[in-house]
Amino acid sequence: MSRGIPISGLTLVSALGRGWAAHARALRADASGLTPEPFADGVPTLVGRVAGLDAVTLPRSLARYDCRNNRLALLALESDGFAEAVARVVRRVGPEAVGLIVGTSTSGIAATEAAYRTQAFARTHTLPADYPYRETHNVFATADFARQVLGLQGPAVAVSTACSSSAKALAAGARWLRAGVCRAVVVGGVDSLCATTLYGFRALDLLARGPVRPFSAERCGIAIGEAGGFALLTTADLAAGEACLTLAGAGESADGYHMTAPHPEGLGAYEAMAAALAAAGRGQDEIDYIALHGTGTVYNDAAEDRAIARLGLTHVPAGSNKGALGHTLGAAGLCALATLGVAMREGFVPGTVGTRARDPALSVNLVLTARPARLRVALLNTFGFGGSNCSLVVERAS
Amino acid sequence: MSAFVSGLGVLGPGLWDGAQALAALGQDAGLATDVRAPRVAGLSANEARRCPLVARYALDVGQQALAAAGRDAAHLATVFSSASGDLEIFDKNARALAQSPPALSPTLFHNSVHNAVAGYWGIAQGTRAASTSLSAYDESFAAGVLEALMIVDRERQALLIAYDVPPPAALAAARPITVPFAVAVLFTSEDPSGQAARVAWRFGVEGEEVTRMPGALEALRLANPAARALPFLQTLARRATRPLILPYVGGRRLVLEVSHARP
Repeated sequence: MSRGIPISGLTLVSALGRGWAAHARALRADASGLTPEPFADGVPTLVGRVAGLDAVTLPRSLARYDCRNNRLALLALESDGFAEAVARVVRRVGPEAVGLIVGTSTSGIAATEAAYRTQAFARTHTLPADYPYRETHNVFATADFARQVLGLQGPAVAVSTACSSSAKALAAGARWLRAGVCRAVVVGGVDSLCATTLYGFRALDLLARGPVRPFSAERCGIAIGEAGGFALLTTADLAAGEACLTLAGAGESADGYHMTAPHPEGLGAYEAMAAALAAAGRGQDEIDYIALHGTGTVYNDAAEDRAIARLGLTHVPAGSNKGALGHTLGAAGLCALATLGVAMREGFVPGTVGTRARDPALSVNLVLTARPARLRVALLNTFGFGGSNCSLVVERAS
Repeated sequence: MSAFVSGLGVLGPGLWDGAQALAALGQDAGLATDVRAPRVAGLSANEARRCPLVARYALDVGQQALAAAGRDAAHLATVFSSASGDLEIFDKNARALAQSPPALSPTLFHNSVHNAVAGYWGIAQGTRAASTSLSAYDESFAAGVLEALMIVDRERQALLIAYDVPPPAALAAARPITVPFAVAVLFTSEDPSGQAARVAWRFGVEGEEVTRMPGALEALRLANPAARALPFLQTLARRATRPLILPYVGGRRLVLEVSHARP
């Protein structure tokens, strides 16, 4: 990529709080938003739950879209003046010229999980024809909802590639702008808590029973979090003076190896990172920070570590936010982007909450606690099930 | 931004592979209604056992398209587009979660992600090429074409695989998809053969008349979001040069300008 894509609006709602200021406070203080929510059988686990979703009300005309995922999306759109920033762009270029991409792994499937637990379902074993599948459960539901909330008429799509979803949505947004498909793109990452992911990761024995400790020798799994975040990507002329970050390059790859286990040498991860650096035109000595995927599982962290070592980036300060806000799955890329945005603008490097010391068997230059620093160029990693990898190079806007 | 159609795979009612589909759609006769069982190559016995039906459809047509073009998947970016993904797996998981105590099978869980199909593709083809997995509800075929054409612009080739299968009984009323349908289109920036169809795109006008299928085939076009590809396939079959108006998100239209060189 010869020149970067300006990001002129950015917001996040997560277990750490709502909006930019809450995240700045929590990240500087190395706070964790994870809370114990043991399973019904008493097996302990931590969860990164967003407060206040029960009180969120959808516009009446979009009542059929009501579900946890869309409430989370709405809360995010109404944070940090994000919807207003989009409205200003719409006024300049028209609603047809503004696209929307949402990355999500599980969309609103929690609504249908709940429908399967009702007496009515136990009796009929079927959902009625008027069940709002399209508006809640379907992969595209949150994109369709956000598109209508914002009054956009440009192209819209959902990207669903498990934990790389919203990073790949950002990469797709950059692709759309470069191709001239639209003049601005709203890119979201929204994933909310549901039984499928909680019990699914439990079945894979990948849930931590205590604190999440990325890249530590004590690491023992993930905590599932929920988050909703949005970024406004525009052409350069529309960003004038308002950009906080620049999306300088994206790299995408597949593992082609296993459905859940990463390639042991992190080959796919290496290729995604190398492609992102090449697209951004950045060398190894120009990267100030790596926002690790850093889930806190034994094999994922080891594979990511090997990929970073192979790329010659073990000198670069690196950290993971998974111990602070949990693994937000499809929203992980947007969480990493927003926490990077906060750190770059507020002048600090975030720590790796939960980790007391780096695993001596690993080699990254792990930042344990937040400290003042001027970050200019960062590499951001996300790696998902099905071997779906996406790395981004993000720069502070000058 | 335009690309050539260098390979095709089709699997649906009365459409058993790309070549037969073009032959059948080139005539005005109706189609048979039976569907060939999908075939998948390249997976180990273990992976093949775990590979769900929806992924079999997608891999079948993708492998057809590669074979038709005589290409391999090593550096071939893929776009998987499915309106509703794997509802069979969702149904099994949701039933297991409604039990007390709830318990999930690890295999069913990892198969439940929308990009499980892409995962099986990467394993079957032994490729680490980039891949994305999309949905735009009933407009997923058009959204997939648009994404693939943008990728061809940079990568010189991209394989679009659009697919959906009927949901299980519990979801059949809430999400009516009544037949299975999968289509793969290999788009390339060059056409050494000089015979391939060229596809360019533009956004159409809201409310513009959508290109429909003649007679009974119109019901098939509407029976599955991936079957919205039928007018495109018929245009290829007849080597016609014409604009195709596809329904797109929010009532908009995606217009594909398909052109064939005169023989």
